[in-house]
Amino acid sequence: MCGCGQQCWGWGNCAASPMLLLSLLLSTAPFALRGEDTRQVSLEVIPGWPDTPQNLLHVRAVGTNSTLHYVWGTLGPPAVVLVATNTPHSTLSVNWSHLLSPEPDGGLMVLPKDSIQFSSALIFTRLLEFDSTNVSDTAAKAPGKPYPPYSLAKFSWNNITDSLDPTTLTATFQGHPMNDATRAFVNGSLAFRVQAFSRSSRPAQSPRLLHTADTCQLEVTLVGASPRGNRSLFGLEVATLGRGPDCPLVQEQHSIDDEYAPAVFQLDQLLWGSLPTGFVQWRPVAYSQQQRGRESALPGHASPLHPTLAYSLPQSPIVRAFFGPQNNFCAFNVTFGTSTGPGYWDQHYLSWSMLVGVGSPPADALSPLVLGIMAVALGAPGLILLGGGLFLLLRHKRPLEYESIN
Amino acid sequence: VRLSLRDLPGRHVSRGHVIAVWGWLWPRRFLPGPGRARALASRSRVGAMEEEDEEARALLAGGAARDGRDSPAAPRPLPALCDPGRLAHRIVVLLLMCFLGFGGYFCYDNPAALQTQIKRDMRVNTTKFMLLYAWYSWPNVVLCFFGGFLIDRVFGKRWGTIIFSCFVCIGQVVFALGGIFNAFWLMEFGRFVFGIGGESLAVAQNTYAVSWFKGKELNLVFGLQLSMARIGSTVNMNLMGWLYSKMEASLGSAGPTTLGVTLMIGGITCILSLICALVLAYLDQRAERILHKEQGKTGEVIKLTDVKDFSLPLWLIFVICVCYYVAVFPFIGLGKVFFTEKFGFSSQAASAINSIVYVISAPMSPVFGLLVDKTGKNVIWVLCAVVTTLVSHMMLAFTMWNPWIAMCLLGLSYSLLACALWPMVAFVVPEHQLGTAYGFMQSIQNLGLAIISIVAGMILDTRGYLFLEVFFIACVSLSLLSVVLLYLVDRAQGGNLNYSAKQREEMKLSHTE
Repeated sequence: MCGCGQQCWGWGNCAASPMLLLSLLLSTAPFALRGEDTRQVSLEVIPGWPDTPQNLLHVRAVGTNSTLHYVWGTLGPPAVVLVATNTPHSTLSVNWSHLLSPEPDGGLMVLPKDSIQFSSALIFTRLLEFDSTNVSDTAAKAPGKPYPPYSLAKFSWNNITDSLDPTTLTATFQGHPMNDATRAFVNGSLAFRVQAFSRSSRPAQSPRLLHTADTCQLEVTLVGASPRGNRSLFGLEVATLGRGPDCPLVQEQHSIDDEYAPAVFQLDQLLWGSLPTGFVQWRPVAYSQQQRGRESALPGHASPLHPTLAYSLPQSPIVRAFFGPQNNFCAFNVTFGTSTGPGYWDQHYLSWSMLVGVGSPPADALSPLVLGIMAVALGAPGLILLGGGLFLLLRHKRPLEYESIN
Repeated sequence: VRLSLRDLPGRHVSRGHVIAVWGWLWPRRFLPGPGRARALASRSRVGAMEEEDEEARALLAGGAARDGRDSPAAPRPLPALCDPGRLAHRIVVLLLMCFLGFGGYFCYDNPAALQTQIKRDMRVNTTKFMLLYAWYSWPNVVLCFFGGFLIDRVFGKRWGTIIFSCFVCIGQVVFALGGIFNAFWLMEFGRFVFGIGGESLAVAQNTYAVSWFKGKELNLVFGLQLSMARIGSTVNMNLMGWLYSKMEASLGSAGPTTLGVTLMIGGITCILSLICALVLAYLDQRAERILHKEQGKTGEVIKLTDVKDFSLPLWLIFVICVCYYVAVFPFIGLGKVFFTEKFGFSSQAASAINSIVYVISAPMSPVFGLLVDKTGKNVIWVLCAVVTTLVSHMMLAFTMWNPWIAMCLLGLSYSLLACALWPMVAFVVPEHQLGTAYGFMQSIQNLGLAIISIVAGMILDTRGYLFLEVFFIACVSLSLLSVVLLYLVDRAQGGNLNYSAKQREEMKLSHTE
């Protein structure tokens, strides 16, 4: 399917042996990257200069032996820098004057520096739109003729302080193009809803990705924007940092289990490096209605990661501020829907969720209900057969015994 | 011809399995009337060949025809094609009979073939989609008891056939109009009307078959009608999607109108069937005039009060039947998307694999009929079939193995179950209650299918295919549990259900002595 993607077939996760290998590696991995069951999670809007909108969100997840920092920001395109440290006392320091300057290197630091075990970043660079008319159902993966993309660096974003909810650990960045020449976003907006978690659980709404205390969930929602065609498909261009010359891999895991997202048998994940360092995980499905059901599910498709020259992407000051100027970027597109299925045109609504985290990605297992039903379903006839067989056997024997006595 | 037919192995069982194979779809199909059902089954039970032969001879239309032609009363010999006594004419009638049912078979599974299109265009979820099947089943919960009676006693087979064909046509047209007017309730209503006609038309078709071919090529005719049913379903599965895309291309866009027009075109097959019904009625009347054939009126009215006398093994057989069929047909109704999403099949490949159960059951049913007939041991065969189905559902649910393996297994086990299960009823019910027993069995089967169709849709929408498969596994396992219980009860009561063919023969001999 996907050129550089790996495919795994089998139970919920990869087959047993890679899983075993993974867990072996996990035990030797740096201490900070071992998952923790619960964390003290705090969301903080980092105060900027008075005249700049406050759009830097620091998610700090403190465990017993480690701290995870997620820095979400909309200086430039929406981006997140994730940093794992092996001490519960590491802190984030932000130098706004550096950060807002043309060369923001060093504007963002996690201290102490030697406690950093892993760091990476994701940048959401463009909102893509395709014209899917004249694309037949069976045709290849190409979603259609592309319209000029919306550069998310040229969006203006709301003040996230208003949307920050410390009880649910959520905050929402809501934006629209700064100069909206086509007036497509008059009634519309693009929202990035960030949620952190203090323990492992699964949300009630599809796609119900299993999250842990080591992860953050991002929900990208496009609402109300006028599409440029009758059958517009939307997509998102996502960039990340490449380590060395190669790009991280996008794995397509095929699973037998669609219990949490009906009729979606696939889980895609991007892994930074072969060690369990960090990951992005999503189901290839988006929803075209707020009521997320199977009838509003749009199939998603992710392109393989390809190396991209830095200047061809909108620059993110926060990524540059943390990682410095010399970086290889890799980008991929996720697109949603087909010309024939349900689509954004139904209700002018599109929502897609993904998980970004540190350590090894959470893996689905068969639910206890399924296992219970299977145990009863297979056990009961077997037991009856056994019990009945014994009963018949004894009944046949008894007359014989009497005979022998007589 | 008669000799070879009488010696045709698996005679009674093949009739039994034919009942079974279509049982789910056209429950009364091979039970033209309660009385006739009784006659068929009683013969299979007692197996009195002489009696059968006599009866066959007595009812031999051909013989009567020959007599008629030889007698001076006959005005002049007719050409073979027009002479109701000749084989050539009967072949024409056979063709008409096959096409009489074709429309119904074709249109019954239209929703399965157009599942994605219907759900998208009508904006319904799977639960509502499955109502299309449920609405088909509801009228038949009642009609199963009365279809045969209506045809035998009230309408007569000719008018019965025409009336039920009209119901089928009108039902399909209303179904299609529901698409054109974008009204899902109208589609549901269409399926309801279609259901009223569908099952009873099958009974009528069967009555024709018996009246024209009894004592002649009846097994062959049943076999051919069975194959026609399968061909109808298979053609539908593989044609409707293509037809829809053609309509979409010519109308310019997909939508309820495209769907409605596609279904309307599918409805042409029903018109064809109606024409066949009219021609058949004419030919039948003509044959009756020429051959002085008497109307084959048989049968007693089903007595609902018999239900309280049903024995435990019979109830277990009912449970096996309902639990088994609800795990097969709702699955096929929902299968197409499963194969495209889980196994990455193309739409066409998914249609093909979804229809493989039908394709397999056509040629395999006679083979298994023969097998069960030669060996006896019905309970063991049923056990094998149910276990195989369980295995195939587990393969579909828990593995990524090529689903062709599992679906072929399902097709085989389904054919085997039909051959072994349905004749068993005749072993546990007194002759005079057979009609009631079969009617009841088909009725609760329809009830089960209607309810489980809805439940399956709901499960799929909220919990996905894995859970749906687990639910089906649970159903099959309940069926398995009943088979095991049936075996034990039968053993404990010293019943004859699991006798081998040889033991049955011996029992029969000792009985006659």
